[in-house]
Amino acid sequence: MIASVKAIAVRINRQFLRDRRFLGLSLMVPLLIMLLIKYVLDSLPGLERLGVHVSDYAMFFAAYLVHFLAYVLSTIVLVGDRTTGTLARMFVYGYRRREIVFGYVGGYSTIAAGQTAFILVLTKYLFDINLLPDIVPVALTMFSLAVVSVDLGVFISNFARNEGQVIPFIPLVILPTALLSGIAIPIGDLPTVLQWCSYVIPLRYAVEVLNAVLVNHQPFRDNLAPFLILVGIGAGLLATASFTLKERE
Amino acid sequence: MTPAAATPSSPAVSIEALRKDYGAIRALGGATLTVRKGEVFGLVGPNGAGKTTLIKAICGILKPTAGRVTVLGFDAGRDRYRLRRRLGYMPQAPALYEDLSPYENLTFFGKGYRTEDLRGRIRLVLGFVELWDRRDDPLHTFSGGMRQRVSLACALLRDPELLILDEPTAGVDPALKQTFWRHFQELKQRGRTIFLSTNMMEEAMRCDRVAVIRAGRILITEAPEAIRSRGRTEITLELAGGGRRVEEAAAYAEELPRLLSGYGLSSEVRRIRIRRPDLEEVILSMIGQKEAGAGKVKTHTGDDPPAGGTAPSATPEDHT
Repeated sequence: MIASVKAIAVRINRQFLRDRRFLGLSLMVPLLIMLLIKYVLDSLPGLERLGVHVSDYAMFFAAYLVHFLAYVLSTIVLVGDRTTGTLARMFVYGYRRREIVFGYVGGYSTIAAGQTAFILVLTKYLFDINLLPDIVPVALTMFSLAVVSVDLGVFISNFARNEGQVIPFIPLVILPTALLSGIAIPIGDLPTVLQWCSYVIPLRYAVEVLNAVLVNHQPFRDNLAPFLILVGIGAGLLATASFTLKERE
Repeated sequence: MTPAAATPSSPAVSIEALRKDYGAIRALGGATLTVRKGEVFGLVGPNGAGKTTLIKAICGILKPTAGRVTVLGFDAGRDRYRLRRRLGYMPQAPALYEDLSPYENLTFFGKGYRTEDLRGRIRLVLGFVELWDRRDDPLHTFSGGMRQRVSLACALLRDPELLILDEPTAGVDPALKQTFWRHFQELKQRGRTIFLSTNMMEEAMRCDRVAVIRAGRILITEAPEAIRSRGRTEITLELAGGGRRVEEAAAYAEELPRLLSGYGLSSEVRRIRIRRPDLEEVILSMIGQKEAGAGKVKTHTGDDPPAGGTAPSATPEDHT
């Protein structure tokens, strides 16, 4: 199994490294979006007077960006594999469902890790955040979020037969995430029903960790619960995707 | 224990009353056929007849609604993992990674079942499709025909017992088509079984047996010449004085003497013209689409001549 998972992950990474346009865009898009966020937040009048520090929110937006990019990328590419017939060929040539799911998560997670590292560095310098004391928990949380996002993408791709059918699934995940994860509205301010709904939003747990560590300067070890829930959601999605990946039409 | 695969006399493929519904659409409506070991078997039918669906069922990537598919003695559903080790599959679309080279594509697909001496096999199959020199070029720089060649190389990678080819020569130039068929014959001589779908009549004529499929049902399974002989031959007697008499005969060899004896072999008959329908005409009359023209089965054109000198002709045959 390990050899097959490795073969898939290596193949995915090789493909992305060959695609210069993709490489360029995966750096340019976060750069432009983070610049836009900075510009918007800096231009909001009186934010600092209300005691809101722009830099506190920057990492939440960065986490949202990591989640969005990794989720959309993995969903679309796996559905692309289905429509071009390469997924069917993989099955006939001996790859099993579990190997394919783990291989895809492995491959995309490497890409997502690179992109996450870039976004972290970008956010640090754009918003002048002193990340160094908390770099390990922040990087760990962001990377785990990226992997969970890939898991979610692989899982969601099971429900789309072609790239067109992926489109409705993008807002279905991304908009509730924006509203219910705590990046825009504090979860405590939401109606009770929506607070319950927020428990299934992976970004909520990443934001909780980032908020505790970066904003409230609490030790990571005191905030392991949301981190472990995040990892648990990832493991659950991975296991579910391994069973739901359609091998036979 | 290996299932019936061990029995040499067992068929390579046995499909019984196979049905596949996609919601309200019935793709296969009780298809039944048998492919013998060591034969080149052709599945002929118009677009949308169910050829690809049937092929997917043989490869174990289709969950039938009803019916049974046994391939090389394995149940194509239950035993699909063991079955697939012995299959070579070439889908209709190339189904390869465009950013990767042929060598990288073949390495990737070869690792699924841990092909022995993978490098040696890649060299062999890429050499066969005459792409060894282009092995490191990305696939997106290749023409459609070249991609088909890489796809075929991929199917041959593990020297499979049964080769499943879904319209293998679509988009391939005539010279290479000939090479493909030469190799298919070589594989047949080595005891391999080839199952291919096609809508090209000159290819159907090269098969040992052909099944005609329409609307998800197998209409007939016979040798192509036997199918062709089912067509009604048109016999035209041109008479002295410019008259003519046209007769249709199911078996013209038997009918002709009766017809001539009616004229007492008199000098009245100036010329006898016999026109046998070609395979395409017979198949089209079987699938009842000649007039409609929809989903017309392709025949070769002047710029796309039939490959190989020994292949039986698929063009209408006129005897005068």
